Formats: sequence, C-alpha cells, structure tokens
Amino acid sequence: MINFDIQLEYFKLIGKELKNKVECFVIGGSAMMFYNAKAETKDVDLVFMDKESINAVKNILEKLGFEEKKNLIKIFKKYEEAQNKPIMMMGKDTRFDLFLREIITFQMTENIIDRVRESHEFENLIIKVVSPEDVILMKSATEREKDRADALSLINKFNIKWNIIIEESINQTKIGKHLFPVFLFDFLYELKEDLKADIPKDVIDKIRKISENMLEEYLRKKKH
Amino acid sequence: MDLYKIARKLDGLQTVSTIAKSLNVKARTAINYAWLLRKNGYLASIQNRRVRLYRISPIRKKVTGYSLYELLNENSRVKIIVKEDYFIHSKKKPSIEEILVRCIMTGEFRIVLASLDLFNKVKNWPRLKFFADKYKSGRKIGALYDVARKIIRVRRMDKRTREGLLRNGKEKYIIKPFRSKHFKDVEKEWNVYIPFNVQDLGVYKE
Repeated sequence: MINFDIQLEYFKLIGKELKNKVECFVIGGSAMMFYNAKAETKDVDLVFMDKESINAVKNILEKLGFEEKKNLIKIFKKYEEAQNKPIMMMGKDTRFDLFLREIITFQMTENIIDRVRESHEFENLIIKVVSPEDVILMKSATEREKDRADALSLINKFNIKWNIIIEESINQTKIGKHLFPVFLFDFLYELKEDLKADIPKDVIDKIRKISENMLEEYLRKKKH
Repeated sequence: MDLYKIARKLDGLQTVSTIAKSLNVKARTAINYAWLLRKNGYLASIQNRRVRLYRISPIRKKVTGYSLYELLNENSRVKIIVKEDYFIHSKKKPSIEEILVRCIMTGEFRIVLASLDLFNKVKNWPRLKFFADKYKSGRKIGALYDVARKIIRVRRMDKRTREGLLRNGKEKYIIKPFRSKHFKDVEKEWNVYIPFNVQDLGVYKE
C-alpha cells in the first residue's frame, strides 16, 4: 500500500528520469488520492495513449527496481477475453499497472479526456487525473469488493453528475462489445441497496430501462 | 451548522448573491458563510474587478504543487477561470518569467491576454530568455512584449535579450489561425502573427 505523498515521490522520480515529455492519465485509487477521497492505494493505475510513452515509463520503473509480473490478477469482468492487458510492475511496497489506451474492456474516449479537470507536471511526466464520474464508471466494471467502497466514498464526497456516467456507459457499449449499462445497473443497485449510497431513484430507474433495452436487443441479435 | 453539507450544496462557482439565493439568507450572512467556508478550506476566491467569484468544493484538497493559473491570477489584472487546472511540482515556486513563457505557450486566447501583464513584473531578462529558449518561443515572447509595451507600462528589455529572442523560434502563430489587423509593424519585425487587435486589449484600459 502507498499513500499520496509516496505516490507523488514516485511520480517525481519517474519524471526526473524521463528524457522526453510523457503524458498519461491516472485512474482508480490513485486518482481518488488526488481528490483526497482515499488515504492509500494498493496499485497505481496509469493509462498511456501511445506505446512509446508506456515503454519509457516501464523502463524507468525497471531501473527503479520494479519487476514485470506475468501472471495477471483477475480484476475486471470479461478479463480473459480482454486483448489489451496491462503491464504490471511489482515493487517492494506497491504495484504500477500500465495500460495502453484501454483499461481491459474500457476505452479512453475523447469525452473522458475532455472531462479531466487537473493536470500535474512532475518534470517530464504529466499526469492527468480523470473525473470522479469516470472513476465510478470504471469501478463498476470490476469485481472487487473494495471498489464498491471506493465508489461509495466518491458518491458521498462529490455531487456526482449521473447523466455523465450513464451517457459514457452507453458510449462505451457503442465503441466496445460489452454491455456497460448492465454492469452499471448491477453496481449502482448494489451500492444503493447494500451500502445505502445516496443515488437518486430516477437514476437507478433510468439505467435499469436502458440496460433492459440493451439486453433485449442483444438477445434478439444473438437469435438471428 | 454542517459546513460540509453547505459546501456540497454550493459546489461550483458562486457569487455572494448566488450563495444568498441558494441558502435563502441575506447578502451579509452569505459573506459570513463564505468567510467560514474559506477558513475551513472549502472555498477559494477568484478576484475580479466587477464581481468576486468563489470556487466552492466539498473536497478539502491537499495542497500539492503550484497551480499555474493561480499564479497567473495573482500577478495579472486580467483574471481567468480555467476548465482544467495545471499544477507544477517543483522544489521552487515558478518565477514570473517561467509563468509568462508557459502561459503564452498554452495558446489559449484569454490566458495569453492575461499573461501580457506579467511583462511589467519581469526583473530578470536573461531568465526570460532562458525559458523562451527552453520552449523555443523567443520570437513569440518578443512580439508580445512589444504589444504589451504599446498598451501598458512595461520595463525596458535589454538589447542583448531582445536580440537573443529574435533569433529563437520558428513557429509563426501564437494562436492558430489568429492574425492582427492593428499590429502589423510588430508582426513584421518579429515574423510572428499577433492574435490581438486593439479592442481585445481594452481590458487593460478599463
């Protein structure tokens, strides 16, 4: 586990070692630490938009004593089908997960990039923090219990713009092959019922309707 | 009184009157609330000549790095509100010269306009040249300096820096595809297109 200060120290170290400017997006627990919504995280998740950048950071992490882990841990739904698996770099006290454009089944779209509200420059490393709405949506596609707790913490702290989450889940389905609104409905329903999250009823109803329609359409297509 | 709940209710950009309206209180009480919120880390104010704006967030963030646009707002009369904040994590606070060059390199109209005021605060011209060289923007900086000199009081740049800036940078546009109708002489001298007309610079005369 690493806390926010140690995470910053790692970023500073990487930024110092990099020869050229590298831009990436921070997601998950690491992004939550920037929002002060989490005290520590198990892994630092970074998403890169080009191969050169991901390799540059991977090489520096190797220099810093991190080792690549080949047997991946199953976190996301549909993990086995995913073609774009992350590079996992194990250190003594933490792990860096490096993704290229996609986070397993979830794609970095222009809309997600556009919703970034803050960037942090550590010499040659530029970290962009994805919005809380996108963090929640990404967490909805995972199977870990602690991701529910993280989402709950975000919902309690922020005035979440639910429309953004719903629209992005539809958008992700359009560009990918998974039914994200179905994952999202399951996730939000569980959060509301089990963890008593403050999610408006009309949001749950709306996402239920969307996911039902999508499932029907999917089954119809499958029959044909 | 739960300040967190109030901050959540007021999340976003507010003025005294919008706070008063949301909380259904008088303007004087709204100012008191703003003071309390600021004291507890929920509020940051953005100074504006006409209206004072408050950015309220229920999240009390840890202060890390130096916000480029906050530094610009501290030093310029033209205030800006940006969609995406940019934090610089460095040992030392960025100098005026660095802020100036970085802001010009954003290529955003309002940010470049606001950064003109920083020329008046430049004390170390060689340092300005150093950053202009670093970002390969010498001619852009020199041209905007000449524009700033026409509308606001600006310290004189030394000849050595001026000649150095003239030799640096190839790009013609400061903001694509803007060209000036009024600063043709500056454009000709520096071989760079100025993105402003005289009317745009009216904010400095108000």
